[in-house]
Amino acid sequence: MSSPADRDREQAGEQQERISQGLIAYLSGHAMDEDYGWITRNQPATGGRGARVAATVTLAAFGLLVLTAATQTSRSAVTVADERTQLIEQITARRQSLDSRIDTARRLTEQNQVLTRAAGTTASAALLARVERLALLTGQSAAHGRGVTVVADDAANADSDRERVLDKDLQRLVNALWEAGAEAISINGQRLTNLSPIRQAGTAINVNFIPLRPPYRLLVLGDPDRLPSRFAATTDGAAWFDLEREVGLRLSITKATRLSLPAAGEQTLRYAQPATQKQGGAS
Amino acid sequence: MIAVVGLVVGIVLGLVLKPDVPLWLEPYLPIAVVAALDAVFGALRAFLDGIFNDKVFVISFVSNVVIAALIVFVGDKLGVGAQLSTGVIVVLGIRIFSNVAAIRRHIFHA
Repeated sequence: MSSPADRDREQAGEQQERISQGLIAYLSGHAMDEDYGWITRNQPATGGRGARVAATVTLAAFGLLVLTAATQTSRSAVTVADERTQLIEQITARRQSLDSRIDTARRLTEQNQVLTRAAGTTASAALLARVERLALLTGQSAAHGRGVTVVADDAANADSDRERVLDKDLQRLVNALWEAGAEAISINGQRLTNLSPIRQAGTAINVNFIPLRPPYRLLVLGDPDRLPSRFAATTDGAAWFDLEREVGLRLSITKATRLSLPAAGEQTLRYAQPATQKQGGAS
Repeated sequence: MIAVVGLVVGIVLGLVLKPDVPLWLEPYLPIAVVAALDAVFGALRAFLDGIFNDKVFVISFVSNVVIAALIVFVGDKLGVGAQLSTGVIVVLGIRIFSNVAAIRRHIFHA
């Protein structure tokens, strides 16, 4: 048996040794637990059957520990490999989807540019031009250009309907002008449209349901050089010259280089519908 | 001889049971294994030296494992778990190498 003092002295020696040797050398030199040597030297007889069993159990625990760690590591290695594979697959898939999206975006951008160009130049411009032309044609927009001014008036000192300009006279005049190549006509500021009636209402003539009084001043757009002669060549034009000669109605046609015709008022259609939209509904 | 039987029993037990390590214990398992290896090789060397003692083996084994795990635990709490683990592995590795070298000298007398 050694006294605690002995042991203290021994430990102090170790301390000294450690300091002089350096850590690595000390570790190598004292790899085995010193207790083995110490116990053998001082208590050779310790350790009975119980200790032997405990050592065996410890070794069993060691085996268990090593095996558990090994299985755990291999298992988690498998898991890690699986996760890695899955991640790689995900990355590939995402990259492919990204590529396709980029392609789509590029294609859409190109389409967008093409469409914008088309919309900006051809389609909408053509549509707009068509609308303007139709509005001009139907009298829905104001028109100006070259043409003739036609003034029709009652006979001087007219005292019977015969000597006045009647609705049918005005209708004939307008018909003759259309026939002669007129492209737009207004009577006393009333633009004639495809829906404009000309009819007598008492002493006045209603055009576009507006009563007009003589003299009737017609602004006619057309070829100023050819309109008068072609007017004279029509039946209705000839009839007017007869009226002029026999009844005394007054008619004058003068060329004009700049005429401005107003637009007709807004007309609402209640029954007519575009044929393309309601082809089957015409019962 | 009975010690070898214990080792075999442990290995077979591990093979049969395939115990699941709880998640919180997982980080300490590898370092505990290294510490246990150190104790076992130390014991083997002592056995070959003829100074093996069961009591010392049990105590050194348990204390090695517990202290190694404890160091890693404290290191994790301090945020230097990886570095402390490396330190422990280095020290234990040196000890294992020295013990194995001694064992080799015993067996091959070289």
